[in-house]
Amino acid sequence: MTVPADPIRPSLVALHPAQSGIIPRGTRVEVFQQIFDVFLVLGTLVGVVVVGYMVYNAYKYRDDGGERPDDAPKVGELPTGGGGGRKLFLSFGLSTIIVVSLILWTYGTLLYVEDEATVEGGDDVQIDVVGYRFGWDFVYPNGHETSTLRVPANETVQLNVTSEDVFHTFGVPELRVKTDAIPGQQTQTWLEAEETGTYRARCFEICGAGHSYMTAEVEVMRPSDYENWYANTSAENSSAVAGPSEIGPRATAGPRASAVSQGVVG
Amino acid sequence: MTDETSDPRTDGGERVRESRRGAKRTDGGTAAAGHETDHHHGLPAPSSIKRWLVTTNHKDVGILYTVTALFFLVFGGVLALLMRVQLWTPGATILEPLQYNQAVSAHGLIMIFWFLSPFAFGFANYVVPLQIGAKDLAFPRLNALSYWLYLFSGILFGVSFFQGGTFAGGWTMYAPLNLPVYTPNIGASTAVLALLLFVVSVTVSSVNFLTTMHRMRAEGLTLRRMPLFTWTILLTTWMMLFAFAALLAALMILSADRLIGTQYFAATGHAGSLLWAHLFWFFGHPEVYIVFFPALGVMAECFQTFTGKRIVGRKWFIAAMVLVALQSFLVWMHHMFLTSINLEIKTLFMATTIGISLPFDLMVFALVYTMLKGRVRFTTPFLFSFGALVLFILGGITGVFLGAVVLDYEFRGTYWVVAHFHYVMVGGITALVGGLYYWYPKMTGKMYDKFLGKLHFAMYFVGFNLLYFPMFVAWETPRRDFVYPEIYTTWHQLSTVGAFLLGASFLVMFYNLWVSLSTGEDASDNPWQFSTTTEWAIPSPPPLENFPGKPSFSSGSLEFLPDGSDAGDIEPAGPGGREPAATDGGEATTDGGEAATDGSETDADDGEDDDDGKLVTDGGRVMTDGGQPMTDDEQVVADDGTAGAADANAGVADEKATDGGTVTVYDEHAADDEEHGEDHASIWPFRIGLTSFLFLVGLSGLRQGSFPEGLEGGAYLGLTVVAGVGLLWALVGMGREEFHGLEGPFGESWPFTGINNTKLGVWIFLASDVVLFGAFVGSYAFIRVAEGWQNNWHHLIPADHVVLPGLINTYLLLTSSFTVVLALVACEKRSKWGLIGSLATTLVLGIAFLINKAMEWQHLFHVHSEAFPNGWNIGTNVASSTFYLTTGLHALHVIAGLVITLYLIARAWNGAYLDDDQPVELFGLYWHFVDIVWLFLFPLFYIL
Repeated sequence: MTVPADPIRPSLVALHPAQSGIIPRGTRVEVFQQIFDVFLVLGTLVGVVVVGYMVYNAYKYRDDGGERPDDAPKVGELPTGGGGGRKLFLSFGLSTIIVVSLILWTYGTLLYVEDEATVEGGDDVQIDVVGYRFGWDFVYPNGHETSTLRVPANETVQLNVTSEDVFHTFGVPELRVKTDAIPGQQTQTWLEAEETGTYRARCFEICGAGHSYMTAEVEVMRPSDYENWYANTSAENSSAVAGPSEIGPRATAGPRASAVSQGVVG
Repeated sequence: MTDETSDPRTDGGERVRESRRGAKRTDGGTAAAGHETDHHHGLPAPSSIKRWLVTTNHKDVGILYTVTALFFLVFGGVLALLMRVQLWTPGATILEPLQYNQAVSAHGLIMIFWFLSPFAFGFANYVVPLQIGAKDLAFPRLNALSYWLYLFSGILFGVSFFQGGTFAGGWTMYAPLNLPVYTPNIGASTAVLALLLFVVSVTVSSVNFLTTMHRMRAEGLTLRRMPLFTWTILLTTWMMLFAFAALLAALMILSADRLIGTQYFAATGHAGSLLWAHLFWFFGHPEVYIVFFPALGVMAECFQTFTGKRIVGRKWFIAAMVLVALQSFLVWMHHMFLTSINLEIKTLFMATTIGISLPFDLMVFALVYTMLKGRVRFTTPFLFSFGALVLFILGGITGVFLGAVVLDYEFRGTYWVVAHFHYVMVGGITALVGGLYYWYPKMTGKMYDKFLGKLHFAMYFVGFNLLYFPMFVAWETPRRDFVYPEIYTTWHQLSTVGAFLLGASFLVMFYNLWVSLSTGEDASDNPWQFSTTTEWAIPSPPPLENFPGKPSFSSGSLEFLPDGSDAGDIEPAGPGGREPAATDGGEATTDGGEAATDGSETDADDGEDDDDGKLVTDGGRVMTDGGQPMTDDEQVVADDGTAGAADANAGVADEKATDGGTVTVYDEHAADDEEHGEDHASIWPFRIGLTSFLFLVGLSGLRQGSFPEGLEGGAYLGLTVVAGVGLLWALVGMGREEFHGLEGPFGESWPFTGINNTKLGVWIFLASDVVLFGAFVGSYAFIRVAEGWQNNWHHLIPADHVVLPGLINTYLLLTSSFTVVLALVACEKRSKWGLIGSLATTLVLGIAFLINKAMEWQHLFHVHSEAFPNGWNIGTNVASSTFYLTTGLHALHVIAGLVITLYLIARAWNGAYLDDDQPVELFGLYWHFVDIVWLFLFPLFYIL
C-alpha cells in the first residue's frame, strides 16, 4: 500500500523549487557534496593562510644571535602575558564568524534532511532494515524479506533500521545514507538514488569477526522494474527467511541463524 | 644540603646509572658518596633496582611514568604497524579478522590510556611540584601507588592477550558486543578489569595532584600566576576526577555484567546499548581534552621559552581553557548523532560542540602571535611544539567538518574520523615529545644530541603526515575494517610507509636519549635562554629536596628563602609558611588562621594552647599516635578492594590518615637531620600494585558468578583467594607503616587555606564518589525509563520486595550519623568513654544495617512466586540487577566505614583522638556521605 501509485515521482529538488536557494537541497548525495565542497575549499584556504602565516613569522622572527632584549623573560619571574590582545581578538572574532556561519548554514540542511515530511513521507517506499552478525535483512511492507536491498530510482525510500544482536551502523556510502542499527531501538533515515545500478551497503561499527565482510547489495532499479519485482513478492517467497514482518527481537532461523552461530565464535 | 648536592646527580636518570657513573663528570667518583646520604630517607641509591621499587619521590615517580609510558608507546605502536601491514592491500593478509579486531581495540586502549595520559603525567609528576615550589606531592606514597597501579594495570592488559585473546570490541567497547555472549574470551574480561585498575590509579592520582596544586604552591604563587603547564595539569586533573568517575561506573557495571551476570547491557528489550554509549562518551569526550591539555601546556611553555616572548593574552588563554574544561562535559552526545536521539538534542549538542571549538581558536592564535617580534630558536623542543600546532590546526579544521551534523552523518565510522582524531591526539603526542626533549636535560642532567633531535623531528613530521593525511583522501574506508575500496590501495600504501617512517623516527629518539645519558654534555641549570619557570632555577637534575631553600614569589619574583624563615618578614603577602620541622609547634600560636595544623584547626575553639603545648613538648608521642591512623583507612581499601573501584576510595582515605599522622612533629629523623625529615621510600605501594594485579587475574576467570570447572577454574579461584589475602596484607601493611610526608603550612592555598591536605583530599575524593553514584543512579533511571517507569518496571519486581527493610535501614543509618556527631563532641570534651561509646554505637548500628540487608537479600534470592520461580537473583532481570548492584555498591561503602570504625575504636581505647580528633572528623565526613547516598537510594529503589 505504500508503493506509490505514480512510479515516476519527481525528485525532492523539483518538489521544493522555492527552497533551493542558499541552503543545499536535493538527494543526500547532492547536499553532502555541496556542503563538503564548500567546507573543503574554505578549510583549505584557512589552513593554508594560518599555517603559512605561522611559518612565515617563525622564519621572519628567527633568532639571529643578536643582543638579548632588555625585557626578555628570565628565570623566576612571575608569568605575565605579552601584548597583542587586540590582534588576538580580531582573529578570534573572525574565526568565530566563519565557523558559526558555516555551521548555521549546514543546520538549514540538517533541518531539511531531518524534516518529518522527508523522513516520514506517507506514500514513500518503506523498508525495515535489520542488522545481524554479519549481514543485513530487508523487510518490505508486504512481509517480503530479502538480503538484497532493492529500491526504485528517483524516489524517496524510508528506512527503519534496527539490530537484533549488537550495535551496528548501516550505511550505503555512495548514496550518502547512514544510521546506527541499535538493538532495541529504531532509527529512521531515508535515501534517494538517481542512478540505477548496484551499490553496496555495509556496517560501520565494529561488531565482531565478520565486521569487514558485513555487506549487502543495494540494487537501484528503474521504477517500473521495481514495480514488477515488488508485485511478485510476498512474505512466503522471501529470499532470506520467512517470518513476521515487524521488527524486533525474534528467534533467528534459516541463513541468518547460521551466520549468528558463526558469529558467536567471535 | 651538604651531602644532597652530589646525590641528585645520580638521581635523575634511571637506567643509566652505571654508564653515568663511569662518565667523566666531576662527581663521577663521588657517586658512591652520594648514595650513602640517602639513608636519611630510607631511599636506596638510584643505581639499585630497589630504589625504583620503593621510591615515593615525585621526580623518581615521574621518570618511572615516562619510561613506562614509552614502553606502552612501543607496544601500541607495534599493534598499529601490524594493522598498517594488513591494510597494504584490501582483505585479510597477516591477521585473522578477530586478530585484527584485537589489534585495533588494543591499539586504541593502550595508546589512549596507557601511553598518552601517563606520558603527560610523567612530566606532571616531575615538573608540576617544581613549578609550584613544592618539595613533593601532598601524598607521596599515594603517588607511588598510582604509578604501580598504572604499571600493573598495563601488565594485566598484556596478560589478556594470553587468555584466549584480548578484548576485540574497539576502544569504545560498545554494548552489547562487550558482553561475554559476543566476546567470550577470558582475556576480554581481563582487559576490562585492567581498565578498571587503571581508573583506580587515575582517581588516586587526581586526588593527589588536585590537593597538591590547590594547597602547596609557593608563597605569592596565586592560581592566576601559575605557569601554563601547571594550569593545564590542574584543569586536566579536575576533568579526570569527574570523567573517570563516570568511566569507573561504566566499567564496574560492565565487569558485573561480565563476571557476575548482571543484565545492564544485555542486548534488547531496554536501552542497554545506548546506556553504554552515554556513560562511555560522558567520560570519552572530556578524555579528549584530558589527553590534549597537557600537550597544550607543553606548547605554551616551549613557545614562550623559544621565542623569548611572554604568551599573548595569557589570561584569555587560561579563561579559554577553563571554559573548555567545563564545557567538555556538555558535548558527549555529538558522538551519538546517528543514534535515536532526537533533533532537538542534536541541535543542542551541535551548538555546544561548535561552542567548545571556539576557545581553541583563541588558544591557537595566542600561540601564533607569541612568535611575533620574538627570537624564534628552532631547537628540537620548539620544532616539535611548532609542528604540533600545525597538526592541531589541521585536526581542528577537519573537526569543523565533523561539527556539521549533515557531514558527520556520512563521516561516521570512516577514516575521516580516524584521520581527524589522529591529527588531534597524535598532534598532542607531538607536543609531548617536544616536552620530553625540553625537560630531558632537567631530568637527566645531560643534553641530548641536537642533530639527532632534529633528524627525529624531520622523520617524525614527514612520517606523521604521510601516515595520516592519505586517510583524509581515502576517507571512505570504513573504520576498523581491513576491506576497503580498491581505488584507495595506493593511499593506504603511502599511509603504511608513513607509519614505518614514524615508527623509525622513534628509534632515533630512543637511541639519542639513551646514548646521551652517558655521552651527552652536562646540562646547566637552565640550558634554555628565556625560560622562566622554577624548575630552571635549580640544578639539573634537581636534588632530592628540590630547592636550596624555601621558594617564594612574595617579592614578585622567585627567591629561595632560608629554611625556617618567615615570608612575613619580607612581604606580608605570604603568611604562614614556616619551616615545618623547626617551628611546627609554635605555629598554632602565631598563625593567624592560615593553614593551621590539623589539631589546632579542628578544635579551634578550645584547647589551642593545650595542643600547642603538646606539640612542642611531646611531639614524638603525638606523632606516633598520628602516624598510625592510616591503618584503619587502609583496611577500607582491603574491603573495597573486592569491589575494585573502591580501591581508590580506600587509597585516599588511607592518605588522609597518613597526613593526619604527620601533622605534628618529626620523630628522631628530625633530630639527626632537621632539614630532611620526610620519608621517600615505601615498598607497600609496589606490593599493593602487585597483589591487585594477581587478584584481578584470578577474578578474570569469573563468569556468571562462578569459576569454570576443572583445573583452570581451580587455578583462577586459588589465585583470587591467595592474591586477595595478599592484597589485604599489603593494604594493612601500608596503613601501619609510619611514613612522613610533607607538612604544612604551605604558601598559597586559596581557596582551601582553612582546610588541611588530608581533609581536602577526602573532599575531592568524595566529589568523585558523588559522580560514581550519580552514574549508577543515572543508569538505573535510564534503564527504568526505557522499560517503562511504572507499570513494566513493577512487573520485574516480586511483591516480596517491600519498603519495610529499607525503611528500617534508613533509620539505622540516620541514627548512626547522629552517633558519629556525638563521637566528635566526645573528642572535643576529651571524654574517652564517650568517644568509645559513640563509635561502638555507630558500629552496632552499621552492622544491624548490614544484617537487615543480608536478610532482605536472602529472602529475595529465594522468592518463590509465579513470576519468579527461581528466585529474584542478581541476574534475573534489569530491575534486580540495578537493585543489587547499586545498593551493593552502597553496602560496600558501609562495610568500609565499619572497618574504619573498628579501627577508630581500637585506637580510642588506647587514648587516641582526644588531642587530635581529625581522624574522627574525617571518618564522620565519609560516613555522612554514605548516609546521604542512602537517602537517595531508598526512595529510588523502595518507594517509587
